[in-house]
Amino acid sequence: MMNKTTKWILWSVLLVFLIIYPLVFGIYYTNVFVTFAIAALYAVAIQMLLGFTGFLSFGHAMYFGVGAYGTAIALVHIKGLPLIVSVLFGFASALLLALVMAPLVVRLSVTAFAMIHMAFGMLAYTLALKLRNITGGEDGIGAFPIPPLRIPGVFSIDMTDPTNFYYFAMVILGVSIWILWFVTKTPFGCLMVGIRDNANRIDYLGFKLPQTKAVLYLLVGGFAGIAGSIFALFQNLISAMELYIMHSFIQIMQIMVGGIGSFFGPILGAGVFAVLEELTSRYTQRVELVIGLILILVIMYFPTGLIGMYHHFKTRFFTRQAD
Amino acid sequence: MDATTAMYVAQGLHGLAYGMILFLVASGLTLIFGMMGILTLAHAAFFMLSAYFSYQVMQMTQNFWLALLIAPVVAGIVGVLCERFLIRRVHVMGHIGELILTVGISLVILDAVKAIWSTDSLYVDIPECLQGLVSIVGMEYPIYRLFIIGLALLVLIFMALILYKTRLGMIVRAAVSDADMVNALGINVPLVFMLVFGVGTWMAGVAGVAIAPILTVFPGLADQMGMDAYIIVVVGGFGSLSGAFLVSIIFGLLSSYGVQFVSQLAPILMFIFMAIVLVIKPVGIFGERE
Amino acid sequence: MSILETKELSHDFKGLWALRNVGLQVKEGERHAIIGPNGAGKTTLFNVITGTYVPSKGNVFFKGNDVTKAKPNEMVRLGMGRSFQITSTFSRLTAFENIRMAVLSKRGIRFNLFKQVDKMNDVTEETDAILKRINLDGERDIPASALSYGKSRSLEISMALATDPDIVMLDEPTAGMSRDETHTAVELVRRLTEGKTTVIIEHDMDVVFSLADRITVLHHGEILAVGTPGEIEKNQEVKDAYLGEMEV
Repeated sequence: MMNKTTKWILWSVLLVFLIIYPLVFGIYYTNVFVTFAIAALYAVAIQMLLGFTGFLSFGHAMYFGVGAYGTAIALVHIKGLPLIVSVLFGFASALLLALVMAPLVVRLSVTAFAMIHMAFGMLAYTLALKLRNITGGEDGIGAFPIPPLRIPGVFSIDMTDPTNFYYFAMVILGVSIWILWFVTKTPFGCLMVGIRDNANRIDYLGFKLPQTKAVLYLLVGGFAGIAGSIFALFQNLISAMELYIMHSFIQIMQIMVGGIGSFFGPILGAGVFAVLEELTSRYTQRVELVIGLILILVIMYFPTGLIGMYHHFKTRFFTRQAD
Repeated sequence: MDATTAMYVAQGLHGLAYGMILFLVASGLTLIFGMMGILTLAHAAFFMLSAYFSYQVMQMTQNFWLALLIAPVVAGIVGVLCERFLIRRVHVMGHIGELILTVGISLVILDAVKAIWSTDSLYVDIPECLQGLVSIVGMEYPIYRLFIIGLALLVLIFMALILYKTRLGMIVRAAVSDADMVNALGINVPLVFMLVFGVGTWMAGVAGVAIAPILTVFPGLADQMGMDAYIIVVVGGFGSLSGAFLVSIIFGLLSSYGVQFVSQLAPILMFIFMAIVLVIKPVGIFGERE
Repeated sequence: MSILETKELSHDFKGLWALRNVGLQVKEGERHAIIGPNGAGKTTLFNVITGTYVPSKGNVFFKGNDVTKAKPNEMVRLGMGRSFQITSTFSRLTAFENIRMAVLSKRGIRFNLFKQVDKMNDVTEETDAILKRINLDGERDIPASALSYGKSRSLEISMALATDPDIVMLDEPTAGMSRDETHTAVELVRRLTEGKTTVIIEHDMDVVFSLADRITVLHHGEILAVGTPGEIEKNQEVKDAYLGEMEV
């Protein structure tokens, strides 16, 4: 175990790094980092479902998308909407969708759960594409006003400035990730891994399975919605493409690459994907080929992901020392 | 027959033809995913690959029949190789492993296809003897679509015969319900799985060749068809061929009549149908297990 | 007074009757064994009582309430604990975390999203106390899947007891154990269920006769005999149907 001092030092280093990052790396990489952080929250939320509770979803892009549309549509139609409220709109829309979906999905087996999500995910995608007057179809909703972060009479910070937005996004995303991390440490978190390992026994210990899953489902949907909401604000654009099924798969891949079942795995995975996309798109046209090959290699040789790899080498290193 | 009725019938036949193509892809998937329990998202990629192979064969020989013979077999061989050297090894990890792996395979195939044949739509001609229209009960209808319906039926009868009338089919069905037992009887189960994967891929390949002259050959071909095939397998019920058949035909008809009456909402009809079925019966229409 | 009672309980699987008119009565405070040859319906009876299945016919009464249709989690909340014949622990969680799950349930901590579980000192203390009582304190942080068979069976049984139920249903606690392990397990069961109403399915006759206050014999889904170990031992019908088979 790390002792308290080391822990605090590490957290402080991380904090300082996050604060000086935009000053050191410039606007381009600041934006790359925001993209990564959004993906990280999204992937962490999915990990709660997949890695911790054992439920595979092929359609979570709908929560990300609904969160994004919720924020964008609110900003288009409501004049002078405060920034935080617009994020809450995104969160609430995703939560609402989860609330409708939860009764349908909490009693399903793992495979049926995955498939029904794929189905509803595609339905959401098609709807976003076809309901042009609400969603803007393929073009999506763009160029909506991004309100400043302000408390009247105290301060007003312009959010169209990339550096300002970076700090705002970091706070929202960071706090969200922290909340999810905290949840894994609570008795509810115990229940989640219990369901993954042996759902039947959870029932036989007196816990209500469907209700527990429903609470988790709302949590995951809501936070995926926040990720989507920040995405919409960041891009100042949301289109049906973000709901496409591939955007449900990518998070699962990030989780696998980072390490399934580990909280920080998905963040690592999201980081790897961000770097990969950055590098491959710079040096080759064949982004898909590279990602495809990496997926094949990871799943064939390191199915536990980077976190698993780390533990693997750590164990080997220490055993050798012991010899 | 008056014009309106003729139009209904024509749309119905269109739907039937599309439904049969769907069924060719979906029944291959039913074998692989529904029966063997291998979650492959690369199925549609093989479908697309076969369409490209057929284009290539046509380019070289101008012979549609040769393309129909060769392309699906080559696609099937690629499928078998993937199963033997990749998919088999992650089967123990369950669906997540297979998902990641087959998405990886799809991406590689997709990009390889783009690199070799570019992203343009490639045109494949309908063979001369199948061009033109035929008159059925006073109505003109494209011969090629009737040919598709016939071809699909032929493949399916062939498959049904193998599955229900031969020893191999018996082993396959037994291996599905209890792989360990069949293994213990001295039958090479991995080989059976590999063969079935090959046959399933081959069927998707046949569909790919058949559809190429109608839709043209382009990288996006996999997306629409793959998603539909999945939904059919799920809605019909895992491992149920009759379920897949029923749903394929319904989807085919939904899409052709849908385009005619509510063109904006046509793609949504399928999903609504699926959502309703799955909400009522999560295991699908003819599904017994999950 | 009977704490647990079934009336004309019948259950069928697609026309195959696994239970027929079973009228089981378990008195408060007793250790009640259910025996019978393979396929007699013992585990089905457990499954029907604990809420896995709703019986085809008949009723289950627990503490005077009709619980025929109650679900497993409802039965647990009413005060019933159950262990399984096939070990059913949380394989990737440690022994400590396994027991803690039961302790959380007992304390009614279910949807707490606001406090870290590691900081709930009373939960930790209680869990550690249970681990000590079942001699698993040395394996506290070992995943359940890595425990020896005997230890994992102890864990299985203790999880059923850790919710502090009024009645505990043990489905073959010594299943698959070696002679030594069986001995240890029987002593564990004896110690942990002292004074607690216990229903136990068991194959090992030595175990049954040394543990049980009363015995119900099931045969082909029906009750063949009920009585004290002494009475059952002398019962000719039971001998014919069951003990005879065992001694072949």
